[in-house]
Amino acid sequence: MREKEEVREELIQLVLFKLGEEEFGVNILQAREIEKLDQGLTRVPKAPSFVEGVINLRGEIIPIVDLRKRFGLTLPPLGYDSRVIIVEVDGALVGMLVDAVEEVIRIPASAVEPPPPITKGVDSQYVSGVAKVGDRLIVLLNLERALSPEESKELAEADLSE
Amino acid sequence: METSEYLRVFMDECREHLQTLNSSLLALENDPQNKEILNAIFRSAHTIKGAAATMGFNKMADVTHNMEDVLGLLRRGDVEVTPEIINLLFDAVDLLEILAGGIPEGREADIETAGIVQRLKKYSTREELTPSTRDRRRTLELRYLKEEQEQLKKLLTGEKKLYHLHVILREECLLKGARAFMILREVEAAGTIVKTIPSTKELEDERFRYDFIIGLITDEPLEKVVDIIRRVTDVKDVRGEEVAPDKLPEERRGSGETYCFAVQKEKEDEPSAPVATAQTGLTVRVDIRKLDDLMNLVAELVINRGRLQKISAELQHEELEESVEHLNRLLLELQDDVLKTRMVAVEHVFSRFPRLVRDLAHRAGKQVDLHITGIETELDRTVIDEIGDPLIHIIRNSVDHRIEPPEERVAAGKPATGQLSVSAHQAGNQVVITVADDGRGIDSKKIADTALAKGYITPEQLAEMTEEEIINLVFLPGFSTSEEVTDVSGRGVGMDVVRERITALGGQVLLSSVPGEGTTVMIQLPLTLAIIQTLMVQVGSEIYAIPTTLVDQTISVARKDIKILRRQEVTMLRGEVLPLVRLQDVLGVKDARNPEYEELDVVVVRHGERRVGCVVDSLLRPQDVVIKSLGSYLGNIPGIAGATILGDGRVALILDLRTVAVA
Repeated sequence: MREKEEVREELIQLVLFKLGEEEFGVNILQAREIEKLDQGLTRVPKAPSFVEGVINLRGEIIPIVDLRKRFGLTLPPLGYDSRVIIVEVDGALVGMLVDAVEEVIRIPASAVEPPPPITKGVDSQYVSGVAKVGDRLIVLLNLERALSPEESKELAEADLSE
Repeated sequence: METSEYLRVFMDECREHLQTLNSSLLALENDPQNKEILNAIFRSAHTIKGAAATMGFNKMADVTHNMEDVLGLLRRGDVEVTPEIINLLFDAVDLLEILAGGIPEGREADIETAGIVQRLKKYSTREELTPSTRDRRRTLELRYLKEEQEQLKKLLTGEKKLYHLHVILREECLLKGARAFMILREVEAAGTIVKTIPSTKELEDERFRYDFIIGLITDEPLEKVVDIIRRVTDVKDVRGEEVAPDKLPEERRGSGETYCFAVQKEKEDEPSAPVATAQTGLTVRVDIRKLDDLMNLVAELVINRGRLQKISAELQHEELEESVEHLNRLLLELQDDVLKTRMVAVEHVFSRFPRLVRDLAHRAGKQVDLHITGIETELDRTVIDEIGDPLIHIIRNSVDHRIEPPEERVAAGKPATGQLSVSAHQAGNQVVITVADDGRGIDSKKIADTALAKGYITPEQLAEMTEEEIINLVFLPGFSTSEEVTDVSGRGVGMDVVRERITALGGQVLLSSVPGEGTTVMIQLPLTLAIIQTLMVQVGSEIYAIPTTLVDQTISVARKDIKILRRQEVTMLRGEVLPLVRLQDVLGVKDARNPEYEELDVVVVRHGERRVGCVVDSLLRPQDVVIKSLGSYLGNIPGIAGATILGDGRVALILDLRTVAVA
């Protein structure tokens, strides 16, 4: 009994998703919901290039970020399994476009290790840690950084200067 | 409602009343004789007392209760308003604020209240201990204002005489209000009551001690009238005297020595709620976010209705169509009602102005009378929150720059006191707010000179401009006349900021002026920001909404009429050169079709003095849309005013083409 409680305290729940073939995870506490992208996106002129557009989520306008563009990954176009994970970052709702949402898993917090400089092509500033689950290596995203509007601006400027 | 909900409502109410207490006490300090202010203070303290007691916040209830006692004495004039008392009341309010500080955690802050309570008690009990004050106050006298004297003299003809009847009730009399009413009724049967002290209203409300004086005009003998009163139960004594028409005691207005005629309007000893309902109707406080949520839900319903309508049209099912139609009507009503709940009276903003004008006038050494009308005019909450600053700026300009100092006014043959009026009224789905003064007006020549010197206009343009157009140049960015720069408050922010703010709200601002006679600033605002009128246009596969406030007109331009002038596409519109902008270039639309068209649809956008033609693929329809923010993540994107949700659930962006117009 006591042992069980101890274990529970140390567990974290992750939503696992795929960008290409790589597995990523976000803490379930930050994920609001998962949507299929069945409505058209509305492009927003002059928004950062990785902002694909906005959608209507029950009356609220939600910006959709293409993480693959954000991380500079070159990947095939979105397919049937593509999903939007709506997350809350700094009080704002943002949708993350991913290639597939796989499952929700529980892992012991102790399984999370600090990120190496570059993980699967993603800059370590966007990564909060990596978790080994069996033989799978899951990259845990630091959403505040990965989606930060400030960072976005820098990148948008970089895009413009190219 | 959960307890926490009650707590929040209580907190809101408390905060509001504490604020009233603070500001009213400040006002009372400057105007110690003002009963209205005292009444406002009393009501706020009373409301807090009631609410705190209900919520079980006993310390707050105790402090306010004791404040009330002291305030009651002040209102009755038993105790004079002294700096000492005002300081004590301020201390009590500070204490209340500290106590209220703990309420978000569900209990009052832990602080000792006994000190303040004792100091308050000292005043309320002192009254009993010093009967001399009471006696002085108890010497009732019935006096008449000049106008009243005139009227009385007209009434006193033939056998008619004026009696002053001093009625004294027994101290043990229970329903003295009812007694007084009975006496008045009896006396009324014998003649005409011209005045009583305290007023009849106060008598009926039992707001008197044990005696009152009736002024009666009658042709009956004095003894008979006195006898009538004596017969009423609980009357201890009646002293009657005849007053000669030429010896009427005169009341000087505002003299603190006698009771003023009907000074108190509100009942004091009943719970404040009935008083409030009598004036404003039953109200409920609601968090503005809840209303926003409600708005969103309604908007969603509207969208779903669209889908239903489409399905029922396809199915051609009569009953379904009927019920969808019914649903439609209900929804429109619902939308209307929800919008109305967000409306707030402009009073919320206007109430700051008297103080503002007084301070400004004082500082500038000017005399200004402020007239405010139309305070009940309602605007959407979001608009209300935004118009305060621009209005303050306009008023400040009027007092600082346009209304002349007294000497200058007199020299110009005007009254020394300047007149400033702020008024609001609704016109269609707009609200018009006007700020007018009778100051020196705006010197259009000066404006024109500055505009020329700063290169805003060319001499040729100036030649074609009307007086009004010239005056409205002050709204150009960075424009300010030298006169304004030398003045203290005119530096920095100009009228361009005012215009910026107003147009951001979807409104317009217009300036008109007659030199030497005054200036009028007229602001037109939409009733609500939540819904705006737009023109839907299509560019490529994308649909955009353009607010109609920016749209001057829509025209059709043949390709052959487009010329290139300094690498810019232009066309002629009624003799003027109209620059053209392909919207796809501004918005980065890749599949626009208009380059292939022979006839182009053009939306002419007007921003200030500039007009620009925006070329689109097609004009779709005018549509009222519910405006939504793009959210804090995207923040402010230049050229995009917001977004709206179309009937099919897709998002369309609302363009802010002012940036295009100034580019």
